[in-house]
Amino acid sequence: MKIIVCMKQVPAAATASIDPLTKTIVRTGRNAVTNPFDLYALQTALDIKSGVGGSVTAITMGIPAAQKVLQDAISRGADDGAILSDRAFAGADTLATSYALSLGINKLGGADLIVCGKMAVDGDTAQIGPELAQHLGISHVSDVSEILEMAPDHLVVRRVWDDVEQELYLPLPALITVAKGQNLPQLPTIPGMLRGRAAQIPTFTAEDLQADIARCGLKGSPTQVVRTFTPPVRGEAQTIDGNEAQQAGQLVQIIREVLHGAD
Amino acid sequence: MDQTLIRKLVSADEEYLRDESKKIGHAETISFPETHEQVCQIMAQLYETGTSVTVQGSRTGLAAAAVPFGGHVLNMSRMDKVLSMRAEDDRFYITVQPGVILQKLNKAIAARSFDTSSWDEASQEVYQSFLKAPVQMFTPDPTESTAAIGGMVACNASGARSYHYGATRRHIQAVRAVLANGQTISLRRGEIFAKGLELTIPTEQGDTITVQLPSYKMPNCKNASGYYCCEDMDALDLFIGSDGTLAVLTEIELSLLPVPALTWGVSCFFQKESQAAFYTKLARQIKQGIVAIEYFDPCALDILRRQKAESTAFAGLPFLPDSFGCAVYTELHCDTEEQAYELLEALSQYCAAAGGDPDMTWVASSDSDRDMLHFFRHAVPESVNMQVERTKHTYPEITKVGGDLAVPDEYFEELLELYDSTLKEEGLQHAAWGHIGDNHIHVNILPRDMDEYSRGKALLAKWAGEVSRMGGAVSAEHGVGKLKAPFLEVMYGTEYIREMAALKAAFDPRWMLGRGNLFAPQEEVE
Amino acid sequence: MERIKKGALWVFCEVQENQLLPVGLQLLGRAKTLAEESNRPLYAVVLGKISKDSVKLLHASGAHEVICSVGSAFDEKLEQPYADSLIRLSEQFEPDILLVGATPFGRAFAPRVAAALGTGLTADCTELSIDAESGLLLQTRPAFGGNMMATIRTATSRPQMATVRPGVLPLPEPMEVSDREPITIEDDGQIGLVKLLKETAISRGADISQSKIIVAAGRGIGQKKNLKLVQALADKLGGQVGASRPLVDMGFCPYSSQIGQTGYSVAPDLLICCGISGAVQHLAGIGGAKTVIAINTDPKAPIFAVADYKIVGDCVSVLEHLLKALDEN
Repeated sequence: MKIIVCMKQVPAAATASIDPLTKTIVRTGRNAVTNPFDLYALQTALDIKSGVGGSVTAITMGIPAAQKVLQDAISRGADDGAILSDRAFAGADTLATSYALSLGINKLGGADLIVCGKMAVDGDTAQIGPELAQHLGISHVSDVSEILEMAPDHLVVRRVWDDVEQELYLPLPALITVAKGQNLPQLPTIPGMLRGRAAQIPTFTAEDLQADIARCGLKGSPTQVVRTFTPPVRGEAQTIDGNEAQQAGQLVQIIREVLHGAD
Repeated sequence: MDQTLIRKLVSADEEYLRDESKKIGHAETISFPETHEQVCQIMAQLYETGTSVTVQGSRTGLAAAAVPFGGHVLNMSRMDKVLSMRAEDDRFYITVQPGVILQKLNKAIAARSFDTSSWDEASQEVYQSFLKAPVQMFTPDPTESTAAIGGMVACNASGARSYHYGATRRHIQAVRAVLANGQTISLRRGEIFAKGLELTIPTEQGDTITVQLPSYKMPNCKNASGYYCCEDMDALDLFIGSDGTLAVLTEIELSLLPVPALTWGVSCFFQKESQAAFYTKLARQIKQGIVAIEYFDPCALDILRRQKAESTAFAGLPFLPDSFGCAVYTELHCDTEEQAYELLEALSQYCAAAGGDPDMTWVASSDSDRDMLHFFRHAVPESVNMQVERTKHTYPEITKVGGDLAVPDEYFEELLELYDSTLKEEGLQHAAWGHIGDNHIHVNILPRDMDEYSRGKALLAKWAGEVSRMGGAVSAEHGVGKLKAPFLEVMYGTEYIREMAALKAAFDPRWMLGRGNLFAPQEEVE
Repeated sequence: MERIKKGALWVFCEVQENQLLPVGLQLLGRAKTLAEESNRPLYAVVLGKISKDSVKLLHASGAHEVICSVGSAFDEKLEQPYADSLIRLSEQFEPDILLVGATPFGRAFAPRVAAALGTGLTADCTELSIDAESGLLLQTRPAFGGNMMATIRTATSRPQMATVRPGVLPLPEPMEVSDREPITIEDDGQIGLVKLLKETAISRGADISQSKIIVAAGRGIGQKKNLKLVQALADKLGGQVGASRPLVDMGFCPYSSQIGQTGYSVAPDLLICCGISGAVQHLAGIGGAKTVIAINTDPKAPIFAVADYKIVGDCVSVLEHLLKALDEN
């Protein structure tokens, strides 16, 4: 089975703080890392490969340095990788990103199965997988938590939504997005790390993909950020002072007022 | 004088009678000072009656040093401010109160976010360059990250990375302290030295204290047992690791280091313990870039396997195949990827040479992978504690019987054999892990009943004797406190203990501070 | 069909076991204002059959018309048939705005619609408004890992699509309306290639997004064992335990208790935040809380900015004292 895993490089820490001097975002983790959700996707792909045979290719779109996530994928067991990198891709929203990824996947000759992480921790949209499936004209199942059955031409998967659990039969080719589920992303081995470092990773430009420039990057992104702002704050909170016993006493009063007031 | 600082200790204060050693003490009064001046007042007041004083940080210690044996509890948890910052030769130094919690300090350093509102102008200025400088770190990393800085200094705490960076001592630049009589001293590294074994320290009030330092030779290994003493030593070092028996620290200046570009973790697995020891020997030959070498014995891995299967909180632990007998974790701090990969190749060779399989290794090069390995490491003591807690339901007196012994390089294999043979002989359940790079493994006996508990304690005493014979330390990092005071006597002998007692008496003539710490009760009578 | 005007504001209303999910009504409530401001008709769009009462509720919640697309493809809730149908409807009737509830199902199928129509989709908006000048939909959501808010618009393509989490917007007061027939459209779409083999309902107990009293814990709780205190307080107050994302990520708490942009949005009468610093990611989920009490050691923690009462201190010992105080009372 030919499997392609979509991966993304994200800032190391999902939570950032505001620099007290410059008022800009400080990322406390210093390095960019592989989107943690994508590691579950990769592990799912590797598990399927070890079940039915085949190959696992990791693909990403980003600046040249983002090929690090592909090295990471190879160090964890992927066979190879490909990066889509071009100035024309910069500033892409989910529509333009999924368009470029669909071209990249076609350039790789397509796949029987495409696996995406449920979402990226920096964007939190969970849209790339379904949009990509639509561009490719294939079926998809979001939020897969377990692969129940694997065969060269189909999968049976389980997914869990708020209050319902589904078992689904999914003929291939298809795309799945993977929730943090029962698989546990495995750590690279030392030989794996060395393999990842030595890997030759091809870069595809917009031209290589014969992409419609009008559909790429910022130009091809219908959503525009009009402004950013720090969230509004309420009126100043009332401080509860005193030692802990006194604070507890005041809290009891407040809780009582709130709950009785709400009756 | 503010008479309200000291109050009666009531039943609601019960928690202040305990620490992580699970020992429970007793005391009559308690105080929670917030400033240096308040500590001076409290001590001056207690000095009048010669009341015993037990100083507490966040009570995470394992040697019961913070458990009061009567008298007054001086709890430093409200002295939790970062006071100032200084720079010298591109290094940053911060002065903190002793109640500052390590975890919070680390977070503030990493996020470069301090409350500077009360800082002086000079500190404010340094802070501006701190904000622009590379991210810094305070390297001492005891497993219990909620430790208070004061407690860490009191027992010269260390952690995994002390293999490379040294224990807390190496990162303390200055202290201010209050003596038993309320007088104060201020010591900065490089300013006051002993002449031979004679040391004179001036107080800020204009008196001087002259002491004769004990003449013992400290063990040539990681050590947190008894006073730090040697010829021509820096006066500051005497107070680091003094277990709250000489003075009450009120201000501590810490030195910071820039965070390395890369922090990677490598776990190798072996079937036999001897293979792990051999791999460690090889890895120790690497002089640059390895900051920690940590060991997990087969029992520790078995406990993790059980935890992973039984508890959802531990389900995120990596899968441990049965072929993984024991593990050695190596942490790398590197400036370049080039260096990191070179080290990986070297470790791969050593792993194979020791009989391990490089394809059965884990490498954590990202924060999240490293968090996974840290989780793995912390899960071991946590699981052991959970198991002991379960036993406690039936036998409330039982505690974990934990060794904190270290020996010089040449005796390490002998020590491992000693552990192995005696534990087998006694048939005691146990788990061992820790700082194999420093010949320092925590062997923990997990008693299942009272008989095993007393046999475990006897075994620990036996080990202390053997380790002393090997020229090792009865406490390598936890400090001596109350639990290991008898072992200290085994290690140094009564004559040297008497010298230590004389030293203490020079600073604390009424024998008020840290009653029961370092000195087993019979030595206490002066 | 002439009842359906082009350029309208559509709200997709998800049906679960023949019941309308509240999020659709919440969206309608907000969309009613947006429709008035921009002078657009407002349609509720339902795939599959619904009861007369449900149709009336949609009208009462602000929908000018209820478009009901019926066909066998909607018997099972799967991504492709729902997306395909909405794509066809959109192509035919050209809505100007299409809002979808960010339920797992909404999040799974709506992106396909956006991709097919070549339009933008803004996920998990916390605020929607109409730009007075351009008449465009302004979609506000947390961004940059959660410490900033970003306002986004879709200027050049249609429809302007956005999803909003359940619980972020209030339920509208139903208006007095008379019974009106929905606009029913026969859809002969296919079910697609994915087959539903089995579906099981999961009972999870009360849903945290509906809870009136929540005691929430964050990283400041320290060790896992301290969660017992949080649970004890929640039990005592008759509420539920919530958690910030780090605790869920660490495996301390189940996902079903996660509050925030990627978890549940909550709107309790009383929210007690223990050791939660308040990343915007988290704050996005508590906007509806009426009274917020926050306990955190860091006096500068952002959670205090949204709190009504603050205690600067260790939440573990405050909890211990509070439990004691509640016992004594």
